[in-house]
Order: sequence, then structure tokens, then C-alpha cells
Amino acid sequence: MSLLLLLLITLPLGAAFALLLLPRVVGDHLAPSVGVAASALTLGVALLTLGARPWSTGTPVLELDAPWIPAIGVRLHLVLDGVSAPLVLLTAGLGLAVTLLTARAAPSGGSVRSLVVCLLVVEGGALATFTASDLLLFFVAFEVVLVPMWAVIRWWGDPHEPALRHDAAARFVLYTALGSAVMLAGLLLVTLQAGSSDIVALTAAHGAAMGRTTQVVAAALLVGGLAVKVPIWPLHTWLAPAHTAAPTVGSVLLAGVLLKMGTYGLARVVVPVVPEGFAAVAPTLAVLGVVGILWGGLACLVERDLKRLVAFSSVAHMGFVALGIASGTPQGLQGALFANVAHGVITGLLFVVAGGLKDRFASARLADIGGGLRDRSPRLGGLLALGCVAGLGLPGLAGFWGEILAVYGSWRDGVFWKSLAVLAVIGTALAAAYLLRVLRAVWHGESDQPVGADATGVELAVTLPLVVLTVVLGLVPWLLLRLTEPTVQHLLGLGRGAV
Amino acid sequence: MTAGVQAVDWLAIGPVLGPAVAALLVLALDAVVGARRTRLVDPIAVAGLLVGLVLLVPQGGGATFCTAPGRCSYVVSSLSLSLQAVVLVAALVALLLAIGLRDRLPRTELHLLVLTATAGACALAAARDYATLAVALETASLPLVALVALRRDGRGAEAGLKLLMTSVVSFGLLALGIALVYASTGSLYLGRPVATALGDLRAAHGVGLALVVAGAAFKLSLVPFHLWTPDTYAGAPLPVAAFLSTVSKVAGLSAVVLVLAVGAPERAGDWAAPVGVLAAVTMTVGNLVALRQRTAVRLLAWSTVAQAGWVVLPLAGAVSASRVTSAVSASLGYLLAYVVATLAAFAVVVRVAESHPDGARHPLTAYAGLWRRRPALALVLGFALLCLAGLPPGVMGVVAKIVAIAPVVGVGAYGLVAVAVVNVVLGVAVYLRWAAGLVASGEAIGEAPSATGATPVAHRLALALGAGGCVALSVLPQLVAAVLARVPLR
Repeated sequence: MSLLLLLLITLPLGAAFALLLLPRVVGDHLAPSVGVAASALTLGVALLTLGARPWSTGTPVLELDAPWIPAIGVRLHLVLDGVSAPLVLLTAGLGLAVTLLTARAAPSGGSVRSLVVCLLVVEGGALATFTASDLLLFFVAFEVVLVPMWAVIRWWGDPHEPALRHDAAARFVLYTALGSAVMLAGLLLVTLQAGSSDIVALTAAHGAAMGRTTQVVAAALLVGGLAVKVPIWPLHTWLAPAHTAAPTVGSVLLAGVLLKMGTYGLARVVVPVVPEGFAAVAPTLAVLGVVGILWGGLACLVERDLKRLVAFSSVAHMGFVALGIASGTPQGLQGALFANVAHGVITGLLFVVAGGLKDRFASARLADIGGGLRDRSPRLGGLLALGCVAGLGLPGLAGFWGEILAVYGSWRDGVFWKSLAVLAVIGTALAAAYLLRVLRAVWHGESDQPVGADATGVELAVTLPLVVLTVVLGLVPWLLLRLTEPTVQHLLGLGRGAV
Repeated sequence: MTAGVQAVDWLAIGPVLGPAVAALLVLALDAVVGARRTRLVDPIAVAGLLVGLVLLVPQGGGATFCTAPGRCSYVVSSLSLSLQAVVLVAALVALLLAIGLRDRLPRTELHLLVLTATAGACALAAARDYATLAVALETASLPLVALVALRRDGRGAEAGLKLLMTSVVSFGLLALGIALVYASTGSLYLGRPVATALGDLRAAHGVGLALVVAGAAFKLSLVPFHLWTPDTYAGAPLPVAAFLSTVSKVAGLSAVVLVLAVGAPERAGDWAAPVGVLAAVTMTVGNLVALRQRTAVRLLAWSTVAQAGWVVLPLAGAVSASRVTSAVSASLGYLLAYVVATLAAFAVVVRVAESHPDGARHPLTAYAGLWRRRPALALVLGFALLCLAGLPPGVMGVVAKIVAIAPVVGVGAYGLVAVAVVNVVLGVAVYLRWAAGLVASGEAIGEAPSATGATPVAHRLALALGAGGCVALSVLPQLVAAVLARVPLR
């Protein structure tokens, strides 16, 4: 059973490696099918891991432990628990979605094979990140996605503006490399001071082996490094260009998988491993999260480009996640993890639609797309409308629960936390304003453009599961909350039954 | 040792004798057969290096050239063995690259000089007294002057002259430093406890150490002793540049480690911080200048400067005698990863230079679209660059970075950590700029496609060794992390 974890990582990475080595003629021909097959198998394996019932306990239900670099005590230690399971499923699902999109309509820019290789490596790296239970293994896995994502943006990005595309790719890779390097310093500090790099052991110890100063320094380094990836205001400036320039598949992976690695790191590494240090930096993180919520919302109110708008809305949504994690309450952390997954699903959906519109109109500017999408392309329009109302947090859809729980969790004693919660609620109002603005500009209204092509079969096939998930998570949120609850209690070092 | 003649442990000095004897054979063959049968010397040279490598295997430890117990000039240790292994492999790859060149270098001279310098570097690794250290370091350095000028053209002469001047200055510093150390401690032997009560001579001893390190820093191209590096690399034949950036660096680091970590671990608290400053300045300057280079060989030259900073960075974590061994181990681990990746990169650069009209001076644009034209070369170079940048899939480089930063984090030198973090990003920018070109669309500028001949066997071997090393160390990063783990230096 534990071999499933190994399979989860080696399937996409192995397929990518095999594709790279195939002769050019065969490789180019087979690449799309191999990509779809590998990611479909990976999704199957991810679903099989649910057989281990990760919701039953707070400790890992699947574990694989083998020596890797004994000289520095790094082990190939993979685990699956209630916090990693949803993200593993999300990554595997989105991995299948992007390889399907690539197989049907590959973006121009380079050979399909290279693109499939990059996508599979991103998927494999993300899955390794979400299951790694060794600080340094986590770091290596965290870095795996960097080069392939850089390549995806640089070569398969916006074909109209190569200079912007190259700039966006460079900005992405340099920002995230900086974040990773800062995080590495924090990881090494924890490893050297606590004498172990094993996350399971460190979680059980709850920072016992480290003094307060060490914890604060380590937490500051870790949060600072991870904040780039999340991204937390003011370190978010790489996100909008990257999303704008990236092809649809890149945007989906960026929003649905890469950003999650940052928040996952906060929940997995920072909160349980250096609890005292995190308590010290949490107020700062919470303030920056709320600034991100408001900043992202205000930016969206005036943004003219649909892809940039969705990117800025990501900054706002991730602000809620940061606030929930910073609150340090089980409700807040639960909400943050829920919002994390919900954002992946909803933003994945929105980027498929926005990317599809950009492909059709050669621009993602709201003005270029024009009004009346519900008449011209009813299916695309419908998907956009659903994504928007889910994004603004309509009750009954996935976006609602995570953010309401995050705000509820941060409603702690004291003026400081209460005012942050109030400001965050104002942020939800901003979200409603800007997403309704999008609907008015694009979905609603009279059409002055010719009738365009509606959603293709593959677009529908990819978005349908996302739509279903959006509705299901909105109607029966306890599915996901029950899954994460025991682990959240464990991470915070509490008994059961707080939510 | 009562007898006048010292007993010599011939096996222990085998790794030095391999290349040294081969050098003599080459010389003898040249004298007997003359310049007509130069083909014969290739296998002799390669065999000399291989014999040296093979003789590393049965080594168990020991010492020779002893005047009294504990006073030995040549000590076999895990330090010497790992350094000798790196030296011999690097020399082998550089030699293979030189043998395969279309525009052939004079054989006898080439082999003689390469083998002599290699023997010097191997002897240096095991040297345990200042006299042996000085002689071995110069044996490892002076042949390089001739090697750099081996083309006998203007650029080669200029490069050779620069290196000669540098060598003379560095030897002067080295000799002065040794004199001061000897005057203050009264012993030439390394590895003897430095008298804790140096008294008034403490300052003289410190200056002596600083001067010896400065002399060795020229070989490592640490800033501000790096100024000769770019012009010399650009003027030298490429395989010689590869030799300079690998074997010479190993020799330089050997000298630094011997003088500081073996010779004066008790004074680690004094030398760790200055070494940290050197490392910080070196990596920053190297990376910043590398960012602006337009030709491959100059970019590699500045990259070796930056990487030299990374190589000595862990030594800044040796703030107390108990931390010295782990710091040196980290330093050697990084060195190993750096040497392997640099050799792989040089092997590709040599191949590209062979088919480019500008030869060794070809610009970075020559690599545009290499992935489509020659995928194997592009794959090797791309992987080597990712290893140097420390990004997966170049796991070797990632682990090397982790290993190098860890000692500095361990002692809480956050200023130095900050500089290292910035340099991680700068390094990514430097190497990805080059790597991005590999897959770029558009035709390479100025390449004559017809010039692309079959790859000579020697170059195939060199490429295979470089690429195989990168892959092997990425699959088994334990080798990078555990070069010296838990082994006493003395």
C-alpha cells in the first residue's frame, strides 16, 4: 500500500524521463498519449490512496521511509495524511486536465513532447512536495517544479509578446529561487538545531528541541521564503505577469498547484515544527494577508485584462488562506486548507475559460472580448459565470466555506484580530464587486462581436469535473473538512473535536 | 628513523608516481623516437593517470617520509585520497579533451606538462609540511604557464605572461607566509598542535597564515586575486582552461585546507570570518560579472570565480576547532560537484568551439537551437548548467548548495547566509541565461554546418565521463555529502 506513494511520484517523472529519451519521430508522435496515460494512471493511484482512510486519524496513514543521503541525515520519507490527501488529489486531477488540454490543442511555441515533459515534471514535483516528510527532501521537491514551469512560460506562453513572456518567465524563476533559498536557510536552521529533518518527528516534538530565538528566526525565514510562492503581498509581483504570459495549461498549474505548495509549506512545516516562532510572526503574516485581500480586490476593480484579473484575485484569495493559517486556531487552519483547495478548483476553472477566450480573441482584455458572451458562446459564458460567482464566495459553492471559516477562525480576542477579520470581510465585498464587474462587461450585455466558437469538447471535459467539485464542495463541505480535521488537530497539537 | 636513508612507502605515493613516471616515459620516448611517433605518447599519458587512479583503491592510510613519529611529510588520509581522486579524474578529462582537438597541440609538451602538474597536485593533497606544500603547489602551477602558451600565438603569449606574473607574485606571498609561520612556531610540519601560547608571535603567525592563503587564493581565483582568470582562460586552449578551472582549483583548495584546517585548526576562530568575507565577495563579484559575459569561455571563467566563493564558503562555518572537519568536508563536497559539472560544461564547449568559425571565442549565441541540431550535446550542457545553478534535475548541485550553506547556518552567520541566498538567485540567472539559449528557436549565428565532423573518440569519452559524473552524483548525492564524513583530518 505504501508503494502507492512511490508510484505517485515515479509515474509522472518516469514517463517524462522516458519521453525525453525517445527518438524524435516516435517521441513527438507518442507524447500526448503518453502524457494523458501517465497522468490518468497517477490520478488512479491518487484515488487508491484514499483507501488508506486518511480522515480516520491525524497521523500519517501511508508511510514510506528509506535512506537517501545518510551523510546529512536526509531520508526518502514520504507520507500521506489528511492535509496532503486533498492536495494530492487536486494535483493529480489538474495534471490530467492539463495533459488532456495539451493533447487536444497544444499551445504553439515548441514541440508538444517537451511541453508534456515539462507538465509531467511539474506534476511529479508537486506530488513529491505534498508527500515529502523530510525537510530537505521537501526542499528538493519544491525546487523540481521551477525549471519546467519557467520553460512552459518562456516557450509556450503568449505568442504575441515574446519579450513580455521572457520577462515574466525570468521574473517567476528568480523570485521563486529567492524564496526557496531563504526557505532553505530556515530549513537548515531547524534541521541543525533540532537535530532532525524528519517532519513527522518534528511535528510530534512541537518545537521542543529549539529555543525561542531559534524558532522565531527559523519561522521568519520559512514564512518569508514560502510567502514568495503563496504569494503574500508585497511579494506577489511575479504572479500577474506569469499568469498573463503563461499558456492556459501553465496558468492552471500555477494557480492550482504551485501556489498551493507555498500554503502547504506553511501548514506542514512552519505551524507544527516551530509553533512558538510562528506565533511570533503570525500577526505580521495576518496583516500582510489582509493587505493582500484588499490590494488584490482593489487591483481587480480596475484591471482590464481578464487573466491578470484572475491572477490578482488569486492574491486576494491566498490572503484569506494566509489569514486563516496565521490565526493559529483549528477553525482558521481548517478554513485555510479548504480555501486552498477551493481556490485551486475555481481558479483552475477560471483560467481554462480565460485562456480559452484569449486563444479565441488573441487578447484577454475585457474590452477586446466584448459583451454578450452568454449569447455568443453560451457554454463558455456559463462556465465563466459559475467561476465568478463561486469566486465571490456565493454560499452553496466551494468558495464560501473556506473564507468564512478563515475569517471565523481569526475572530480572536483583542481588537487586532477582530479588526483584521472585519477588513477581510470587506475584502469579500470587493470580490463581489469585481467579479460582478467582469460578468457585466463580458457575460452580460449586447454583443457587438460576431458569434464566436463555443467551448470545445475537451474544454467541457476538463471543466466538468471542476464544476462538479465546485458545487459538491459548496453543498457538502464536510467531505473535505472531515478529511483534514484530525490532521489539523495533530498539527496544532490539540485534542480532537474543536470544529 | 635512525638510519640515514628513510624508508619509503611506495604504495602510499603511488597516486603521485603514476603521472610522474608517465611524464618521464613521455620525455624518454620523445628523446629516443623523436617527434615522428607522437601518437604513442597519448596512451602512455592516459595510462599514467589511470594507474594513479587505480593505486588509490588499495590505500588504507599511513604516512611516509617521516623524520620522527608524527613528523611526516606525506600522509595518506581520506582528505588526500578524495582530493587525489578528483585531481586525477579532472586531469584525465582535460587530457582527453586536448587529445581530441582537431587543431592539435604539440603532444610531448602537452602530456609532459599536464602529467607534471597533476603529479604536483596529487603530492600537494598529501603534503604535511610547508616545504613539501610549497614545492608541490609550484609543481602544480608552473607547468600551466607553458600549457597556456602552448599555441605559441599572441593571445596565448599574453595569457601565459599574465599567469606567469600571477604565479610569481603568489609564490612570493607563499614563501613569505611560510617564513613567518616557521619563525613563529618553529616547525615546518603541518598537523602538529599550534602552540597555544604563541605569545607575541601570535600576530606574526596570523600574518603568515594570511599570506599563505593569499598565495593559494590566486590558484582558486578568489577575489581580489582573480584578475588573471578571464584573460588567461580566453587565451589558453580550451582543454587547458578546463584543467585550470578544475585541477588548479583543487590544488588551491588543498593548500588552503592544509594550511588552515590541518595546520591551524586551533585558530579557526581567527580565520573563519576572513575566509567568509573572501567567499562572499568572490561569489558576488563572479556572478555579477558573469551575468554580462557574451562569450562562453569568459562566462565559464567568471562562473569559476563565483563557484570558488561557494567552495570556500563552508570554511566560514569553522568558528571552532570542533567544527573544522565538517566544514572541510562540506567544502570538498561542493568542490567535487563543481569540478564534475564544470568538466561536463567544458567538454561541450570544446565540441561547439570545434565547429564554430570563431573557435574558442564563440559567443553564447552559438548555442541557439543546439537542442535541435545536436540534442546530446545540449542535454549534457543543460544538465551541467542546472547542476552549477543548483536546480533540479541537477540534484548534485542542489545537494552541494545545501551542504555548503549548512555550516554557515549552523553558526548563525546570517549576514553570510544572506549573501549566499542572493548568490543562489544570481547563479540561477547566470546559468539559465545560457541554458535558455539551448532551446531557443532561430538559427545559430555564424555556424558553418559543414564543419560539424564526427566526434573523436577522446571527446566522446570526455563527454561521457563528465555527463556520467553529473548523473551518477545526482542519483547518489550521498557521494557529494560524504566525501570526508567523520574522518579526522590530522
